[in-house]
Amino acid sequence: MVSIKVTVMAITLVTLCLLDTNHAVNHKCCPRYMTVKIPFSAIKGYSVQTVREMCPFDAIIFHTKKGKACTDPALDWVMDYVERIKTRAQKVHETSQHLTRPHKGR
Amino acid sequence: MNFSVEELMNESVPTEMTTFDPNFPYEVIEPCTFDNHHSVQIVVHSIICILGFVGNSLVIVTYAFYKRTKSMTDVYLLNVAVADLLFVLALPLIVYNELSSWSMGRVACKLLRGSYSVNLYSGMLLLACISTDRYIAIVQARRSFRLRSLSYSRVICVIVWVFAILVSIPTFCFYEWYEPSHSNEYYMFGDEDIDMDEPSQYVCEFKFPSSEMAQKGKVAVPSTQLAVGFFLPLLVMIFCYTAIIVTLLKAKNFQRHKAVRVVLAVVVVFIACHLPYNLVLLYDTVTMFEHFECEDLKMVQTVMMVMQSIAYLHCCLNPVLYAFVGVKFRNHFRRICQDLWCLGKRYIAPRRFSRVTSEFYVSTIRRSVDVSSENGSSFTM
Repeated sequence: MVSIKVTVMAITLVTLCLLDTNHAVNHKCCPRYMTVKIPFSAIKGYSVQTVREMCPFDAIIFHTKKGKACTDPALDWVMDYVERIKTRAQKVHETSQHLTRPHKGR
Repeated sequence: MNFSVEELMNESVPTEMTTFDPNFPYEVIEPCTFDNHHSVQIVVHSIICILGFVGNSLVIVTYAFYKRTKSMTDVYLLNVAVADLLFVLALPLIVYNELSSWSMGRVACKLLRGSYSVNLYSGMLLLACISTDRYIAIVQARRSFRLRSLSYSRVICVIVWVFAILVSIPTFCFYEWYEPSHSNEYYMFGDEDIDMDEPSQYVCEFKFPSSEMAQKGKVAVPSTQLAVGFFLPLLVMIFCYTAIIVTLLKAKNFQRHKAVRVVLAVVVVFIACHLPYNLVLLYDTVTMFEHFECEDLKMVQTVMMVMQSIAYLHCCLNPVLYAFVGVKFRNHFRRICQDLWCLGKRYIAPRRFSRVTSEFYVSTIRRSVDVSSENGSSFTM
């Protein structure tokens, strides 16, 4: 009696888990920082890794043509790049706002 | 003119030139991707779940229907079984959620992480209580009558559970269900090969309001687990069981060798299951904020996973090591098997076994069991 229930439960469990392995995700943290500077033109964007969450330290992850690059937010060039990306983003924001304003007015 | 432009170019270029050279040789340190051992993990955890569920349910069922908790050890054993059972029930849900990017949401995240912690602490501390109880019964036999009362043990169990809940409050508070900030991409130039449409990936991990708190909390929580959830019970057990073995070896009891063997088994299994995991956890906690090569991180992670599974295995072994090793407990268990068999027969051939007779049968068994186990502690092996 008990063993049948247990077996059914176990099989359900295993199937459920196996079905979901496709969605399995890795949440990657930076293991260390890059020691060299990346050329700005190689950068497509960035994201922020923070010690307040699951990762062991803060980092700026630049998305480059070669993949994601872990950099030290304490370095000047890193924050300079972030500023430059932000400025570009701001410009895009402004132009798009400019374009949509008359549309919104109606 | 030409010359000066060349000069100028060469002066200012090093960075600017490389900017336009896609083949600039720099080594990219990428976020570390861990290898998937999911299938192995699923199989191992399923086995642990099934074994732990069966073993601990049997202990609880035995206590619930046949052996009303009579001694102090009984109360502890029942509580250990409850803690282990809750642990084993939470485990598949945790595994399922880890694989499905925590699809069950915030409440499940908090509850599962919290209950995991509560059961870990209560289970480990209760094992320490059992060793203390046995120490008082065997080594301090004269005081044992006064110190080993049923109500006393119930109070201790309540204290242990309340303490386990209190110690787990940080876990409950600081585990959050969220999308990690580093999986959000802030701005992308150009439009080539942008993989923006990744599904939202939630985690149930630590999240602190400030960096300072994170630095402290990420060390404090595993440190507490190491201290209260492992080293404290370990020290208590080593002290108590060493004293017990010494006393047993002095005694002139024909069963003492068996008793010593059981005690050794309890200690050795505890150490074998929990020491490796806790050592890796200690290493991980000490080197928490250090920078590593990805390969090293992967190795630590894999070792940690294996050791953790071994530690989980302990809750399947507890019923065997603590409950089923006792002669009386085994007798009760045998009765259950007989009764279940009879019940089964009744279902298969309902006409031959009327309800009245089988109930009568059970009640006589209960009465006979009660009489037989009236005197004596559970530390009979």
